[in-house]
Amino acid sequence: MDPIVYVALGMALGAGIAGAASSFGVGIAGAAAAGAVAEDEKNFRNALILEGLPMTQSIYGLITLFLIGMTAGIIGGGGFKFAEPTTQNLIKSAILFGAGLLVGLTGLSAIPQGIIASAGVGAVSKNPKTFTQNLIFAAMAETMAIFGLVGAIILIMSL
Amino acid sequence: MEVSTITAILDTTLAVVFTWVAYKTGQIIWKYTPYSYPNARIKAMEARLLSDQRILELSESRTLQNFVVNLEDSDYGPRLTSIENVNLRNVEMALELSLVDLLELMVKIMPKRVKGFFELLEESIDVRNISNVVKAKLNGLPAQDYIIPAGKMLPKVKAITEAKTMEEILVILEGTEYEEPLRKLLLKEITIQEFELDLYRNYYTKLFKYANSRKGEEKVILLEFVRMLIDERNISTILRAKMAGMSPENLKRLIIEGGSLSRATLDAMVNAEDHIMAMGELEGTKYGQVIRDVREELESGNLEAIERAIRRYRLTRMKELAQFYPLSVGVALTYILEREMEVRKLRAIAKLIVDGVKPEKIKELVGEVA
Repeated sequence: MDPIVYVALGMALGAGIAGAASSFGVGIAGAAAAGAVAEDEKNFRNALILEGLPMTQSIYGLITLFLIGMTAGIIGGGGFKFAEPTTQNLIKSAILFGAGLLVGLTGLSAIPQGIIASAGVGAVSKNPKTFTQNLIFAAMAETMAIFGLVGAIILIMSL
Repeated sequence: MEVSTITAILDTTLAVVFTWVAYKTGQIIWKYTPYSYPNARIKAMEARLLSDQRILELSESRTLQNFVVNLEDSDYGPRLTSIENVNLRNVEMALELSLVDLLELMVKIMPKRVKGFFELLEESIDVRNISNVVKAKLNGLPAQDYIIPAGKMLPKVKAITEAKTMEEILVILEGTEYEEPLRKLLLKEITIQEFELDLYRNYYTKLFKYANSRKGEEKVILLEFVRMLIDERNISTILRAKMAGMSPENLKRLIIEGGSLSRATLDAMVNAEDHIMAMGELEGTKYGQVIRDVREELESGNLEAIERAIRRYRLTRMKELAQFYPLSVGVALTYILEREMEVRKLRAIAKLIVDGVKPEKIKELVGEVA
């Protein structure tokens, strides 16, 4: 495959997988939020915050997409920097592809985060005092996505 | 490295990673997503369970009317406020019907793959109604006093309540699973206890089969739930039969298969000299501690104490499972058990109020009745 295909795939996978995972995560937590609010409207605020947590992975994906695009010259109007199918260019493209894949895969943490947030919505509906604890539990899953973003930035900066 | 080698490695990595990701994602989503909505809703309902303080306040109601008014803002409100004539029977019925409403809600909101279990739980109302009507008819009692106006077979239940003869009941129940046991009863092939047991045996068998047909966590939780139901019934049957002096041969026929107690333990209990010895056979089983906690009451012949203790154990165990599997059917089953326990407490309070027992005494007793 041409180098540009790997770069494009890296951009697409970074934003795509993380975005899809976020939508699943938000979906799972959102269903729980709907259940909690169906029983008591007072649960809305807490449920909304917990529901929104798995959304951040899609932001990391988007950031990566821009970073890869700018590094490869796709964004910014400079033209694609590694157009020639040489080994050197292929390796650079592969690094960018890896960066995108890294953020995409660690972005999958949005699904378990949605599951934790879903259980959290239930727990908070039962006992609102546990909101902070449940927020922290759900936020823990975010760590993996942050590590992924940091790793991707390091990879991109190596070029 | 050759360009083609690099691309081959990248392509293979991509294929492997994608297959794995798709499989794992699908698996996780299939497993947890369907429970997200119902479990959050149930947790919100749990927040409305009556606190101990509220139960104590209800004990001070003094009149049944006040008791009903005090419960108007609870989950029992819709049923209680629709009572036209506030008396003990109607209040008890309203509380029972609120449990039926709960089961109906579970059927609506639970994931498709476990919905059937809650439909089966609803069938227990039919079993109870038919068993009660037949028993009432045989004893010449007004059968309508013993039915709950709910269940899938309510029209048939109403019809058999109005039937003049047992043969007429048989005709009404023709084609249902209740026909055969009733036929045997009318032919005097089985006793009324065996008739009732046949109905429950069929019911538990259906529950067991359904639970066994599930997969993963659902199977684990549902099977444990059904096994504990069967154990509770078997232990209660054996201890009551022992106190009544029933022979081991007759008692053996009343045992329901499928519980967690081994055949050897059940046989030993059946053949024990008396209920105390039978109870002793439970040492070493998971009910050992339960039995030890209520030994004194049991020795004094209070069998309700052990039934209560087993119910409490069942609730504790289901709570453990629900905590271990927070997005599972365990949460719904735990809530149903909690509500059943609450209804038992409320019924007891209502009864004690009607009996004119003083609030202080009701407060003392209410903890012991549920």
